[in-house]
Amino acid sequence: MLVLAIWNYFRGYVIIKIEGLALEKFINMCIARGIYLWDIRRINYTTLEAKVGIQGFKILRKLTRRAGCKVYISKKNGYPFWFSKMKKRKMLLMGAFFSFILLMVISSFVFKVDIVGNEMVSDEEIITILEDSGLRPGSNRYFINIREIENNLLVQIHELAWVGIELKGINAKVEIVEKTPSPQRISKDIPCDVVARKEGVIERVIARNGDALVEKGDIVSEGDLLITGIIERPKMETPLYVHAYGEVYARTYYEHNKSMDLVKVHKEKTGEMFTRTIVKIGDMEIALSRGDHPYEVYILEKTSKKPIQWRNKGLPVEIITEEYYQAIEREEELDLEKTKGMLHEEMLEEILQQIPKDLEISNSKTSFLVKGNLLKGNVIIEVVEDIAQQKQLQVEKLQFEED
Amino acid sequence: MKKNQEIKKSLAEILELPKDIVLDIPKITMVGNLQLYIENHKGILEYSNTRIRINTKSGVLRVIGKNLLLKSIVVEEMVIVGEIHQVEFTD
Repeated sequence: MLVLAIWNYFRGYVIIKIEGLALEKFINMCIARGIYLWDIRRINYTTLEAKVGIQGFKILRKLTRRAGCKVYISKKNGYPFWFSKMKKRKMLLMGAFFSFILLMVISSFVFKVDIVGNEMVSDEEIITILEDSGLRPGSNRYFINIREIENNLLVQIHELAWVGIELKGINAKVEIVEKTPSPQRISKDIPCDVVARKEGVIERVIARNGDALVEKGDIVSEGDLLITGIIERPKMETPLYVHAYGEVYARTYYEHNKSMDLVKVHKEKTGEMFTRTIVKIGDMEIALSRGDHPYEVYILEKTSKKPIQWRNKGLPVEIITEEYYQAIEREEELDLEKTKGMLHEEMLEEILQQIPKDLEISNSKTSFLVKGNLLKGNVIIEVVEDIAQQKQLQVEKLQFEED
Repeated sequence: MKKNQEIKKSLAEILELPKDIVLDIPKITMVGNLQLYIENHKGILEYSNTRIRINTKSGVLRVIGKNLLLKSIVVEEMVIVGEIHQVEFTD
């Protein structure tokens, strides 16, 4: 029937009101003449409403006098009428057309430039280069060569490893990946010291060059001098500056705290339920059911359905059903030993993420403390690791070069 | 005339021809109580929201119901929609 409705729309039809006494006779006459009438509705004893095509209506007017009826047009419907109306309002069409063109033109300009991913390089620096290359708010997307701008950025800023520019509508997104700076390496002919990277208790010192200043058992904190590059001997007049290096193994400690409830609150459903349906279109949420749930304690179960999905794309429409179940809270005391075990495992898992993987754990200590309903856990892990770090001798370097 | 009709009727039965064509009588199809489809009608006699009377070769067909609407009407056939309560032939 939809096809018929569309066909009628394109042919054009009028809704007519027929007034008279012998209306049935009028209908029969129409049929005999081959005029197609549809949706005939009796309004009252003397009035009839019907739909008729444009051609049919022209013939029908001649019939009215013979049937003794009067015909009025109550509504004109369909494409031909719309078209003739539009013909008289050319400016409206022009306006629609021009606003469409304007929209297309304006949307081809870049309005906003977003820079994402830079940490060391400042936004301003990138923006200046982007502007020089032609990407700035107000530039047209069809006149921008993205590849060229990307290359330009990479050439002009050395700290960048990768640049990706994406034009999304009126937004330009500049994604930046910076080079990770390689650890500072001091070349072998430059004198330097070895200092502690972190605090710890010295276990073993292997000074391959330079004089060791610490020995086993010493406690050092971060930045302390471990192996010096200034070698002074009683017989020497001027100290010798060397490139000190070596390994310094120390016991270092990693600590982690965590607590856990000994009483667990269980929620149990009572059987009472309240359902809410929400239709989500884009970011807009429309609640179909009225009111809020009447429960103080409840369990919420959400299910969402997305109609018409095809390869992760589809209508941005989501139907969310929220089911609120009324619940009662029930406290349950947990077994102390079990909880300790669980807490210990959790703490170990978290602390091991902090410790570099290649290190061997030499000792670990776990302690627990019960405070009211709370179980507090503390774990200390002891590892032996190399804490040596080279540090260039700044002042002495000048003297060395003078020599 | 009556005899002619009789002959036609028996002929249709022997040859298994569709009776509505041979005898020129209406063929009425109903879809539940929602739609009534009449072929071979001979014009309408009365039309209102609650009652429609249609002339046919088999007599006057009376349709009684609620919110009746003539969905479409042409020479050979007509469609009535609405809530149909009764369909009967009256002479």
